[in-house]
Amino acid sequence: MLDTFYIAWRYVSFNKIKTATLVACVTLISFLPLSLQLLLEESERQLMSRAVSTPLVVGAKGSSLDLVMNTLYFDDEVPELITVAASNRVMDTDLALPIPVYARFQARGNPIVGTTLDYFDFRGLKIAQGRQLAVLGDCVLGAKVAETLGLEPGDSLVSSPETLFDLAGIYPLKMKVVGVLEKSHTSDDLAVFVDLKTAWVIQGLGHGHEDVTKLRDPTLVLKRTEKNVAATAKLYHHNEITEKNIDSFHFHGDLAQYPITAVIAVPHDDKSGTILRGRYLSQEETRQIVRPEDVIDGLLQNIFRIKNVLDAVISVVALATILAIILVFALSLRLRQREIQTVFKLGCRRATIARLLTAEIFIIVIMSGVFCGAMVFLVNQLSNDLVRMLFIR
Amino acid sequence: MEYWSNGKGLTSSMRMQNIISVSKGLAFVCFSVVTIASLMLFSTATADESEKLTIYVVNYPLQYFAERIAVEHARVVFPAPADVDPAYWMPDEKTISEYQRADLILLNGANYAKWVNKVSLPRFRMVNTSAAFKDRYIETAEILTHSHGAEGEHGHEALAFTTWIDFSLAAEQAEAIAKALSRTRPALRDTFQKNYEELKRELLKLDRDIKEVVSKEQSRVLVVSHPVYDYFARGYGLNIRSVHWEPDEIPTTAQMVELHTILKDHQAKWMIWEGEPAKEAVERLKTIGIQSVVFDPCGNAPNQGDFMSVMRQNIENLKEVFPQSRW
Amino acid sequence: MISIRSLEFYYRPGEFRLDIPEFSVTKGEKVAVIGPSGSGKTTLLNLIAGIMTPLKGTVSVGDIQVSGLDDRERRDFRITNIGFVFQDFELLDYLNVLDNVLHPFRITGALTLDREARSRATNLAQDMGIGDKLKRNSNDLSHGEKQRVAICRALLSQPKLILADEATGNLDPDNKGLILDLLFQSVEDHGTTLLAVTHDYELLKRFDRVVDFQQFEGHDK
Repeated sequence: MLDTFYIAWRYVSFNKIKTATLVACVTLISFLPLSLQLLLEESERQLMSRAVSTPLVVGAKGSSLDLVMNTLYFDDEVPELITVAASNRVMDTDLALPIPVYARFQARGNPIVGTTLDYFDFRGLKIAQGRQLAVLGDCVLGAKVAETLGLEPGDSLVSSPETLFDLAGIYPLKMKVVGVLEKSHTSDDLAVFVDLKTAWVIQGLGHGHEDVTKLRDPTLVLKRTEKNVAATAKLYHHNEITEKNIDSFHFHGDLAQYPITAVIAVPHDDKSGTILRGRYLSQEETRQIVRPEDVIDGLLQNIFRIKNVLDAVISVVALATILAIILVFALSLRLRQREIQTVFKLGCRRATIARLLTAEIFIIVIMSGVFCGAMVFLVNQLSNDLVRMLFIR
Repeated sequence: MEYWSNGKGLTSSMRMQNIISVSKGLAFVCFSVVTIASLMLFSTATADESEKLTIYVVNYPLQYFAERIAVEHARVVFPAPADVDPAYWMPDEKTISEYQRADLILLNGANYAKWVNKVSLPRFRMVNTSAAFKDRYIETAEILTHSHGAEGEHGHEALAFTTWIDFSLAAEQAEAIAKALSRTRPALRDTFQKNYEELKRELLKLDRDIKEVVSKEQSRVLVVSHPVYDYFARGYGLNIRSVHWEPDEIPTTAQMVELHTILKDHQAKWMIWEGEPAKEAVERLKTIGIQSVVFDPCGNAPNQGDFMSVMRQNIENLKEVFPQSRW
Repeated sequence: MISIRSLEFYYRPGEFRLDIPEFSVTKGEKVAVIGPSGSGKTTLLNLIAGIMTPLKGTVSVGDIQVSGLDDRERRDFRITNIGFVFQDFELLDYLNVLDNVLHPFRITGALTLDREARSRATNLAQDMGIGDKLKRNSNDLSHGEKQRVAICRALLSQPKLILADEATGNLDPDNKGLILDLLFQSVEDHGTTLLAVTHDYELLKRFDRVVDFQQFEGHDK
């Protein structure tokens, strides 16, 4: 037996390219379904655990999936905006505690999540370095963001303009990194957290500038009345909030009408949650309230339906690959006819010839198994990050 | 004790006694464990309940109200220095984090503490003590606002915020504090309610007393040194106009001119100061026939006395302005 | 050593046919078989080695009647009693020199690859002048060296009989003589009988006996 494997090994290692190709084919065709299964299981786990931990989400009527994906995973698709009044409404019901979320802007490819301090308590997020948000302009980074961008408390981070061509649009704000969160293995690791009001400053709804009522340059004043001075668009707005200029920062209009993307509602108990959901059932209602668990469950059902199709496709590909491998072996056998005839002439038994060929196949399968196993192990170790990178944010 | 032997050394009777002793011992141990555990649980519960609440506030009146209602059940902190106007104070990072860790943060509302909109505070623990009458906030005409562009909304600096010197509103603020405390410590609801009722009685007495004082001469025209008396004027039906004078400063010529302009169609004989005015300022006013009286809004902690004593003194001071009252 | 009696063989009726009434080789003899191409010389070697069986007649090698053995017995007989040397060397390109020499011992349970066999292999290689090339891949050798490896492989099992089919056919004139010398030396040293099919008429004089295969050439009866 050892001799058979010895000869088989010599053959396999001599024909490096052929062996490598065969090993690669078998490895890939085994690795694909296994890794896909692993990633899907991990996706399901991550999606569901995040969804289960978020009891209710209130948002604008429309796609509940977009709403949930943006609120829980800070997806790029920003749902239709609602206002802070929606959060106040939940507060006033006394049935749940509201946590407003404004996940619209980005900083160097990472989502900026405007929210309140209550979000951190709700998600159990702890500060690893630095401190919590305190002042307008502060930002706290998720663990992965800090790592990727190489930032730590004391550094600054500039928000990205929403579009390049909107001259009157959202200007970059230089934020101060005050803290970095502990790794939570959730989408929170990939977010830049700011106070809701800072998000509004990024949008331009809040700003700081010199005292308009004391302006001397006439080109900066549009209209002056007894009660009000209207400034022109030429007036420079600070793009960074510092100790020196923070006093000049302010908001115009009613804060209750300011925009947010969603409200996470944490009901006091199940009964309160049910009653609260009932409040959003009327036809005239412009908001929707969803249970993320239900939405994600529906999504997963669809994913697994797609997976079944993928499985079928992979099976067909696998079959084709196996047939191709069989063809390779058959052709290889034909090319080795002379060798087989020689060993036959020398007196080798038919069974031995069969054993030699089987040993070669076995070696290839074992090598593929080892590579496949190593790759699957690697995917398993990285599945948490991979899933978030590939499927979720 | 009956004695009989089973030939195995220990008699049955002695064995039975042993069993009884052991059982008694076990029962005692179990009882002790249960008792100790219960005590620990109970004491933990009571410790939770008896642990003082930490309450941070944004001005002195709220501190006073909270201390009156919560008494020994809370530690009420108002960290602004005594010599600053709390409405325009900005806490440092350390103080902000103290606010963040508080069990309750009592806000005045009406955009009083300008710093609140510039910091991050836990929404669930914030209480807007004037939320119940936010539809009755006053937009002051005295402050010049600004806006951007032709259609822009103006800033919030237009809201008047010294709500507590309308004592009926002060009572509503105290009620909001009592409710918040009761939500946080439901077991002490009755205590808080009792203390609130007492405070409310005192505030409403102040309210009645002022109404008495001003009742006969409500039409009396007054000027005030700072635009902080809007709620007071509305609450007690007073006709006031405001200048922007600091008590410890002598009015400049420009300020005197501004006053003269006001006096042309608002012939006041009294200036209400928010603090003890400079003697020279008083004299200058006297030369144009205006007397001075102090009504301290008491936004920050007084050097002497407390909120009640300051307000009672304020009412006493007002009697000079309204001598025709039945008082 | 070899004894053939009344042998009849053909692949398909009506085609080439081999009729050998009598043929024998004595032990230790070095016999050359000559004849035109297609006369059946290789077929004769195959019949003697038991690769094929005659339709009629008997083939014996030593005491063993090869033609009477079954397939498995003939293979075992072959690998333990016969050493082959082919015109095209028939070495395995994925094995080194030593592994090629040891190859028969790895592909059958009838031979045991022990220390003694390995030592014998090394010695054979030394005798053949390729002792320093044991670890080299067989592809890297010259034709002459390759044939020496083949001879070592053939001799390792200490066979009774060496069958050489055009062993010098692919060698240059200098090497032909050299290889034949080595082969003759080895068979003499080991007491082995040699039956060689050859077209090299210059080398015939070295053999003990030359058999002209034309006398056995089959024809349609």
